[in-house]
Amino acid sequence: MIPAAILLAAALAALAAKPVTQCTLCHPDVRVQFDRSRHRAEEVTCTACHGGDAEAIKVEAAHSGSFLGIPTRRDIPHLCSSCHSDVERMRGYNLPTDQYALYQTSRHGQLLAKGDEKVAVCTDCHGPHEILPPDDPRSSVYIRNIPKTCGRCHSDRARMSPYGLKDDPTADFAAGVHGKMLLEKGNLSAPDCTRCHGAHGATPPGVGDVDKICGQCHTTTRAYFLEGPHKEAMDRAGLPECASCHDHHKILPAEIGMLDTVCLKCHEKGSAQAKLSVEMKTLYSRASEEIDSARALVDRAAAIPLYVEDYRADLEQARTTLLESLPVTHSLDLPRVEDLTSQARTIAQRVQSELNGKLEGRKWRQVGLLVFWFYLLLTVVILLQFRRRALAEAARR
Amino acid sequence: MAPDPNAREQSLRGWLEERFNLTEMFSLLTSFGLFPAELDARRPLREAVDEALSRPFPSYARWPRVLGILSMLLFVFLGLTGVMLAFYYQPTVSEGYASVTTIVRDVTFGSFVHQVHGWGARLLVLILMVRVWRFYFQGMYKGPREALWVVSTFLFLAAAGADFTGRLLPWDERGYWATIRGLEILAALPVVGPLFGFLVGGTNVDSLILIRFYFLHAAILPALILVLFYLNFSAVRRVGLSASPGESRAAAGVFKVHLYNMLILASLVFGFLVTLAIVLPSPFVRAADPFVTPPGVRPPWYLLAWYGFLESFPSLVPRWVRGLLLEAILAFCILLPFIDRSPGRAASERRRAILLGAVVLALWILFTWMGYRMEAAR
Repeated sequence: MIPAAILLAAALAALAAKPVTQCTLCHPDVRVQFDRSRHRAEEVTCTACHGGDAEAIKVEAAHSGSFLGIPTRRDIPHLCSSCHSDVERMRGYNLPTDQYALYQTSRHGQLLAKGDEKVAVCTDCHGPHEILPPDDPRSSVYIRNIPKTCGRCHSDRARMSPYGLKDDPTADFAAGVHGKMLLEKGNLSAPDCTRCHGAHGATPPGVGDVDKICGQCHTTTRAYFLEGPHKEAMDRAGLPECASCHDHHKILPAEIGMLDTVCLKCHEKGSAQAKLSVEMKTLYSRASEEIDSARALVDRAAAIPLYVEDYRADLEQARTTLLESLPVTHSLDLPRVEDLTSQARTIAQRVQSELNGKLEGRKWRQVGLLVFWFYLLLTVVILLQFRRRALAEAARR
Repeated sequence: MAPDPNAREQSLRGWLEERFNLTEMFSLLTSFGLFPAELDARRPLREAVDEALSRPFPSYARWPRVLGILSMLLFVFLGLTGVMLAFYYQPTVSEGYASVTTIVRDVTFGSFVHQVHGWGARLLVLILMVRVWRFYFQGMYKGPREALWVVSTFLFLAAAGADFTGRLLPWDERGYWATIRGLEILAALPVVGPLFGFLVGGTNVDSLILIRFYFLHAAILPALILVLFYLNFSAVRRVGLSASPGESRAAAGVFKVHLYNMLILASLVFGFLVTLAIVLPSPFVRAADPFVTPPGVRPPWYLLAWYGFLESFPSLVPRWVRGLLLEAILAFCILLPFIDRSPGRAASERRRAILLGAVVLALWILFTWMGYRMEAAR
């Protein structure tokens, strides 16, 4: 009897500790989702969004008073902002409170204000009940899941055609260098959609702003680009700066081979500009080849083995210097490109000549071998002499 | 005849001779085949050596009867170079490869010593194997040389064991994976496999197996090989070198001539090793990485046939039966003198045995090729 009474008391105490909500009596499926969410952990109740009386058991009583039911799409941003724009309330979580303000400036928010309810509202990206924080890999707004989340709408051509958006940004992104880094290699430093477009304030950057957006990460490249003549010329022609050559969602890898094709998009073959691109490419490739052959030589010497650690470090330095020349090409300043590439080439050539000298020196071992054999054969000849004498001696006996 | 004390004291040898039996010490060389003739330990060294060298020696004491002394010479070179390597080598997983790198890269003549050691090992195993085949084809296992045959087979096995344990020590990827393949073969043998696993601690190639292999390679197996060489030359001296049927047993000179022959042989072997080490050095490969299996992982060449035999047989035959079959073949080889008891040694009298040997040799080459191909195909 007594253990049963203790169990009952414990059960009652457990019930009393939880916030009383009778909503889940009728909505168990929602409860399953909600129980996993961040809101559940912070004890946000159903009525915070849906209104009504959570303690009532009867449907009529529960769905009465402040009851909102399912909020309309148009109301959702405002509803969420009633807590999330409240600085006092968010302080404990150290969450920003400007999302609603940003949203209103976004393409989504502007269209919603005009009465287009097909645009994304908070719940489209964050989910209605199972809201997870962005650092949770299961979350739809976790950095690696964002391209898919955006793609739910933006890769749906039927849905996007009324807005004049024709391409498939999610597929393009995945095929580009950024997508490969983020989605295949799991490099969380690579940008997702929001890094360029903003999250709550999602808007395509204006033509003149592309270099600023890319320059957030590619700072040196942007600095060299601004020094060169392209910035002004592109602004005048109304061309997006970086994207004109590197594309936008399907970002092309920044390789020297690009110079063969992208320059010819605007400049005629045989023009001075096209020649400049060929010259820069030649400078780079020559240095790169020199480093590659030096590296092969180092590997050959390491297999002997010779001491090559210093040469490896030198070649690392050469490679770094050569890589520095890539951003410099954006300034179109040929002497500066030449300076860096020739530095790299000089290091690689020095490594090659020193190693060749050492490998050549090993050929002396063969000469040493000949000398060795000379003395060895001399020994054998002397031994043969002794042997002959011994034979003669034995014959005499 | 009492030695003249005044004459003795004149030289260091004489002084030592008063205090040690130099002749007895010197006869150790005879025990290991390095001096061709037996010495009379009761006589002073010079006298005993002169007497021994002036004894007649048989005309047939030359090729191919030099394989034994050749392998002993190689063993001496291996011992000397091995001791030099042991000064720098560290038998641990973390330092093993680095210490071998130091030997072959930074130590003066280290690479040369290492290469001589490697080529010496390869030649030793090869020569001891050729020797066993020669003994078989020339019927040399027959009485009174049964013991010589058994010792020779064990010599080959011990040398192969020393080669096998030595391959792991540099802890490079070639040796590491060759050891893994080799241990897989040993593990497939019933009784011997578990016994070996018990001794070296399973087939996981780790730091424990490295230190055990090092101890086997540098202490136990060389000691065993020395004992076997001692037994080998002891048997050779007792039963004499084998004359082929019809060969003259007449004297062809004195032992002094033979000694010069051996010295010339030793010089040429040394020259050959040095040449191989300089002209055909084996490349220095990367450190072993247990998580990266390089292509072309094979057991050492003398285990390739076993590997091919174990792996290429239809899976119809259980692996342990194949292992048992290998053990039976090995036991048959070792105990051959007690199985084939026919006395005739001439080729005409043992056509069937020679045919069997040729078939086994052909099969051995075939399975070696299959074992080699197996990795190329993968």
